[in-house]
Amino acid sequence: MTHEVIRHLLDDYVTGELTEDARGPVADHIAACAICGAEVESLKGILARAAELPKSVEPPAEAWANIRAAIERDKQAVGADHGATRRDRWRPYALAAAIVLAAVLSSGGTALYLNSRNAGADSSRPAANSDSSGATPATLVAFTIEENTYLRNVAVLQDLLDRQESLLAPETVAQLKASLRTIDEAILEARNALARDPANKMLIEMLSGTYRQKMDLMRRTAEMTRGS
Amino acid sequence: MKTSAVVSDTIGPFPSTIGEEKAAALDTIRRAQSGDVDAFELLYHEHSPRIYALCLRLKAGDTSDATELMQDVFVRAWRRLSTFRGDCAFSSWLHRLAVNTMLENARSDNRRTARVLPMDDTSRLAGAARSSGVELKLDMENAIASLPKGARLAFVLHDVEGYQHQEIAEQLSVSVGTVKAQLHRARRLLRERLER
Repeated sequence: MTHEVIRHLLDDYVTGELTEDARGPVADHIAACAICGAEVESLKGILARAAELPKSVEPPAEAWANIRAAIERDKQAVGADHGATRRDRWRPYALAAAIVLAAVLSSGGTALYLNSRNAGADSSRPAANSDSSGATPATLVAFTIEENTYLRNVAVLQDLLDRQESLLAPETVAQLKASLRTIDEAILEARNALARDPANKMLIEMLSGTYRQKMDLMRRTAEMTRGS
Repeated sequence: MKTSAVVSDTIGPFPSTIGEEKAAALDTIRRAQSGDVDAFELLYHEHSPRIYALCLRLKAGDTSDATELMQDVFVRAWRRLSTFRGDCAFSSWLHRLAVNTMLENARSDNRRTARVLPMDDTSRLAGAARSSGVELKLDMENAIASLPKGARLAFVLHDVEGYQHQEIAEQLSVSVGTVKAQLHRARRLLRERLER
């Protein structure tokens, strides 16, 4: 291994995260190279200082009073919601059905696709779908823009839903959270697969679709709270 | 309000074994999950110093932002207590919630206004040290606070809080390679700033 290659491995060497095979050659190089030796000592110093930092800091005394006040406001809002008319009460059930459907579609699609890819890999056959690779640079740029838009929109919607959570029935909130978790798991799974195979057009399309489903679900829920 | 030590006098002696301590902690969590705000306050007093230290570092030493973030974390924790099923330690669940809340808030902040912490702003952490009454390692804290956000997050979560690369990657929705690159950048910048 060259000096330049080894310099990139020094972080993992110092934190003990280097593979056993690589550790020996890196150690030999460090023993002979003054530059890398100094870098290792410097890195160890940084890690030692990080380890010495206090893990606990007492928060300001008034913080709990603010938290408690927010909790009491939540409780009052839930109490007010419990007094809602029967006419308003049908809405959570319609919404709950939509929530469950969105979660099933997102996670089911991801699982089906990833399983089919794994099956293809196991049998050493090429992927069944010819679109599973070959995303163009334009597709990747469009996806990056879409992903950034998704992150911005989801942050806005999450903010809105957090503020309006108390307007929904607790069982709807629980269902929504469970479904969002399912969708997020599907997104994470597809995102990790895409990290391993960045030019996979099928994965990009599937992830885009799941992003849109999540935003749609959050939008519909937010609209429901506006109407209640 | 009461601290855990005071309350322990009302419910019996301190637990003598780890098993009893865990059972007592679980009982407090269950009471909070059933709507007992006093039980939640016990959880707050037990966990808030660690969460506040994390918030301070995630917020580059800004005590006002860190306090706001910590309050937000505990209000969300209260709302989401029903989702805690004991699959992991309560402190880990709370930590994860703190990082997620910070990330969500940061996305909102970015939309509202571009907020940039001056690279040589040392007054905020000094304020944190004074207000907390804890002697922070100010030069190191200031150097961490001056890091770019991505590098700071990776460094705080990995080198200070002890998360694994994979865990950080999942939380930040980035690849392990990105986390490692940010860590490398953070350590290089810290060395430059501390060895100047």
